[in-house]
Amino acid sequence: MTHSSPAYNRRELMARLGVGAALLPFVTNLPGVSRAVDGGGAVQRKRRLVVIFTPNGIVPKDFWPDAEGPLDKLKACLDPLTPFKDQLLTLHGVCDKVRGDGDAHMRGMGCLLTGVELFPGNVQGGSDTPAGWAKGHSIDQEIKNHLQGNAATRTRFGSLEFGVMVPERADTWTRMVYTGANKPVAPVDSPYQMFNKLYGQGKDRAAVVSVLDGVAKDLKTLTNKLGTEDRRLLEEHAELVREMEKEIKDQQAQEGKKVGHPVPQLEPGVRVDNDQMPKLSKMQMDLMVASMLADFARVFTFQYTNSVGMARMRWLGITEGHHELSHEPDSNTTAMDKLVKINNWFSGQIAYLLKRLKDTPEPGGPGTMLDNTQIVWTNELGKGSSHTLDDIPFVLMGGGLDWKMGRALKYKKVPHNRLLMALAHGFGDEVKTFGNASYCSGGPLTGLKG
Amino acid sequence: MRPGISFLILAVAAEQLSCGVSLGQESGISGQAIYAKQCASCHGKQGDGTKSHPQPLAGERSVAQLTRLIQETMPEGQPGTLSGEEAKAVSAYVFDAYYSASAREKNAPPRIDLVRLTVPQFRNAVADIVAGFKGNVGWSTERGLKGEYFKSRNYRKEDLVLERVDPVIDFDWGTEPPGMGIDAKQFGVRHKGSIRPTVTGEYQFIVRTEHATRLFVNDTRTPLIDAWVKSGSDTEYTGSLFLVGGRIYPIRLEMSKAKQGVDDSNKKEQKAKPAAPAMLHLEWIPPKGTRQTVPDRCLSIHGSPEQLVISTPFPPDDRSLGWERGSSISKGWYQSVTQATLEAATWVGEHADDLAGTKADAGDRKKKLGNFCKQFAERAWRRPLEPVEEKFLIDTVFGMQADAQTGVQRVVLATLQSPAFLYQGAGKAESQSAVAERLAWTLWDSIPDQDLAKACAENRLKTEEQIRKQAERMLADPKGQAKLMGFFRHWLKLDQGADLSKDLKKFPGFDAGLVSSLRESLELQVQKVVFGPKADFRQLFSEETVLVDDRMAAFYGTALPAPSGFHAAFLNSGQRGGILTHPYLLAHLAYNEETSPIHRGVFIAKSLLGVGMKPPEAVAPIAPDLHPSLTTRERVLLQTQPSACTSCHAIVNPLGFALEGYDAVGRPRATDRGKPITTAGDYLARDGKTHTFSGPKELSNFLGQSPEAHDAFIKHLFHHLVQQPERAFGKTVPEDLRAVFQADQFDIRKLAITIASCTAAVNRDVAVKGPVEKGKAP
Repeated sequence: MTHSSPAYNRRELMARLGVGAALLPFVTNLPGVSRAVDGGGAVQRKRRLVVIFTPNGIVPKDFWPDAEGPLDKLKACLDPLTPFKDQLLTLHGVCDKVRGDGDAHMRGMGCLLTGVELFPGNVQGGSDTPAGWAKGHSIDQEIKNHLQGNAATRTRFGSLEFGVMVPERADTWTRMVYTGANKPVAPVDSPYQMFNKLYGQGKDRAAVVSVLDGVAKDLKTLTNKLGTEDRRLLEEHAELVREMEKEIKDQQAQEGKKVGHPVPQLEPGVRVDNDQMPKLSKMQMDLMVASMLADFARVFTFQYTNSVGMARMRWLGITEGHHELSHEPDSNTTAMDKLVKINNWFSGQIAYLLKRLKDTPEPGGPGTMLDNTQIVWTNELGKGSSHTLDDIPFVLMGGGLDWKMGRALKYKKVPHNRLLMALAHGFGDEVKTFGNASYCSGGPLTGLKG
Repeated sequence: MRPGISFLILAVAAEQLSCGVSLGQESGISGQAIYAKQCASCHGKQGDGTKSHPQPLAGERSVAQLTRLIQETMPEGQPGTLSGEEAKAVSAYVFDAYYSASAREKNAPPRIDLVRLTVPQFRNAVADIVAGFKGNVGWSTERGLKGEYFKSRNYRKEDLVLERVDPVIDFDWGTEPPGMGIDAKQFGVRHKGSIRPTVTGEYQFIVRTEHATRLFVNDTRTPLIDAWVKSGSDTEYTGSLFLVGGRIYPIRLEMSKAKQGVDDSNKKEQKAKPAAPAMLHLEWIPPKGTRQTVPDRCLSIHGSPEQLVISTPFPPDDRSLGWERGSSISKGWYQSVTQATLEAATWVGEHADDLAGTKADAGDRKKKLGNFCKQFAERAWRRPLEPVEEKFLIDTVFGMQADAQTGVQRVVLATLQSPAFLYQGAGKAESQSAVAERLAWTLWDSIPDQDLAKACAENRLKTEEQIRKQAERMLADPKGQAKLMGFFRHWLKLDQGADLSKDLKKFPGFDAGLVSSLRESLELQVQKVVFGPKADFRQLFSEETVLVDDRMAAFYGTALPAPSGFHAAFLNSGQRGGILTHPYLLAHLAYNEETSPIHRGVFIAKSLLGVGMKPPEAVAPIAPDLHPSLTTRERVLLQTQPSACTSCHAIVNPLGFALEGYDAVGRPRATDRGKPITTAGDYLARDGKTHTFSGPKELSNFLGQSPEAHDAFIKHLFHHLVQQPERAFGKTVPEDLRAVFQADQFDIRKLAITIASCTAAVNRDVAVKGPVEKGKAP
């Protein structure tokens, strides 16, 4: 069997870094971007998927609503989401049943969105047999492919993979998105890199335009030094410079109209560094909202750190790493308090996203962006200290799939493959199974629509 | 003093010698009158053609050759009506008035054109601007990669048990350890060094192993192939990247063997189990090539810094005169330049701190980056910045950006988009640095290096001797070798072999792999001569052995002297005469099943003897099965019988026939269609003498000695190196160079050095403003 290097094909990498200029046509033939409004017929409303990952399990008693039914007061972990209570649906009892090679953190991450086993491999976890990458693609990529396959829902990128403080290390704990078996996708955790990817072409164009005046002047000076025979070449060159300038300016004008929002301004010089996590999180969220506004993609993943994530949330007064805290027993109430604080902080980040989406009217469509976005917040473990893959925290938010929100649902240990299938079906992608078919009986998870 | 070190001196001498051929007057017959009466109606009053015969009278034939041509083919429809004397007179007139190169020059003197950088020059120059910040890298003689073997899966220093040079990475260790003191179940191997691909294009690298592996090529931080996570049963990993030929890139291959996918909870049971097998192979598919183990000749055990590779595709350069030159621009070219400058700006921006010797949080970062920008621009423009330019680039373009990295990127863009970068010597005052620049374009297709810059600064690039000394150094440099080998690749059609294929029923085993071996064999054979002790042109035509690898040995039925690589061997009991009889050329210049004396003859006439020929009539070759009893020789004669054909085929056919003793894949043969092969051929040389030869060795011998072949070679090489018309540098340049070549015992390297140093010394400032004025050279 042959496959290309999973994570780092230089060209892909360059493209990812937004060195689009080097690879994509510079001025002409922008990648076939077709806007949702395709003239005649009933235009389906834009719908998006956002999958947010936070690591190391949660504190069940301070996370899950006690009773099934309409949501009442949210527990401490979810408290910052209170203003969006009616846009919230918690799913208790959804379990990652996938077994096989790899420790729980590895499978928790690698099987979370793929629903399929890991290959045997050489990544040795804390226990169990070593393993490699997942054997199949992830649900976000499934949905992306579905949307990209249709001109009406096709977007420039299809999907965007955001990260916050993801270690520079490609292994089973750091990757949850897969385009196929053995093909993990690295999230982009530098807002500057992401900015280049999103707006790099525009930036390149601006940079080129900025030097063209000087070039034209140099050409003129040189032309005057030359004999008539050689002037022709430089005059042609000068004409090409003028043409380029005009084309770029026309394109900029057109794109200004298309993007429909000002290009976001990033605070310069923020380092990808543990202590900058709150800032990085906000910058990435803002870029995600901006790319929704520009309709750059319909599918988003947003990965905080990694499975076994080690963030030290000093800004909350917590000096221990998140993962080591998560191993503490329930009896260690100080540790439990800290874990609640950590999850509460994550909730706060998500609340910020929800607020931004709710405050932004859907461009060219009804309602707000939140009404058209399905957010799924999840985790590789049910609980850190037990490493269980049962009761994986799944919190759904937003109105993207018209599911009945404002509720707490409890299932009886259903495989999470069925939830993945429900997401695909929600986007009109009627998969018969997803991941390991033996966990798909019963079809898409029911009860979501109310 | 060496002959012809300066065109100026020889030009004077040659002009004194020239006595003006005017054969017509001797016999009392006016060639001009005959021309006006019999020829002008078709060929035009000035030999510039007419509507019905648009081809102007221009070419490389001698008067004697023209005379024969006219006698045999002219006037159209009634050849043979001119007497021998008349034909001679009219050919002499035509030769002097329009036809010969000197006549053409008289009528429209060639000049040194302003040219932009060619695509290879653009790529090399950008790479060398950056490389200049990292110091020079040589190409030592130690081939292969440095292998480090560790007794653990990681590369801990204390676990290093074995270090050695591995010429190629082609190991099947099986269940054995790769060396003493290593546990077969768990070990790590790391290979380091440099890689130097020969041609420019997309290279696909392939690593084969059952275990974790990582390959870094050029980029030392991000792997090209990353299978460090061993996952599943894959044993083959690929990654592609664009590389510029002739340049040196760092390479690092890592492999780590560990327990994989096994439950190791039972330690005892594990211990008893045998080790899993291990292999490690590093292969590649070069552009237009076939898959092979990366050969040791492309590897060096010494490290090298990362290169800036411009991978943006460009439209090809103008080749309408048979050689590449930057004589025209187009929208496609300009878009590529824009894209490529952005590619460079992005890369330099990302590496700026490193190149400028600073860090993100250093207090003097902005100052250092500003200095870097200035140096970058001066290197790119091959001259110091004028104060006003410096003010603009550093204070405005760099200084006005809030973020220094963006500032660097803007300077790179502005610098590389400027005509001062994009045009050779554009607007540059005549100086030693202008000479240095010309040397660098000619010998490297790139910008001057630090050595040259230093020589200029120290006023050491002034005398002929000094210029020549630099040229000698530069030709010996890997970049010089790359440019010279590029010439041979073009001259011997090695860049065209991708489509070479044969009828597999008739020639089973003639596959893409063999073709790539053949191509490499010829290239190495040329390299051996050109960079050998004598570099003697004649040696190209006299070598009796052929470099053979295992594939060639198997196909041509020769014993391979050693197990791997290429080795000199007598192919099919000798009967070879250098490059002309190399199986690559013989096969390339042949049809699918049959030989083609015409292709072989045209190659010899045009490429080797420099005979100018007009394009042939559009005639389909006669299919062999129409005349099953005819040999190829007989069939070709039948085909080219019409008088419209003979003007060229009278020259072409007899040359090609001399190689009929080789079949379509270059194997010797004694018969064709059951009849014995005749390899007799002849050539009417410029001096009016007919040379006859029987068989390839006599033909090769003739070519090695022929002044016409020398002239053709000099001209081709001149154009490849200088990329300007030969005579733009002086009317007698071809004659002068021939004399020098002869005096130097036909030393190819010395010829290249002479061409480079003499042309570099010619003042282009004058040339650029108008036609060359003789006597203005420094």
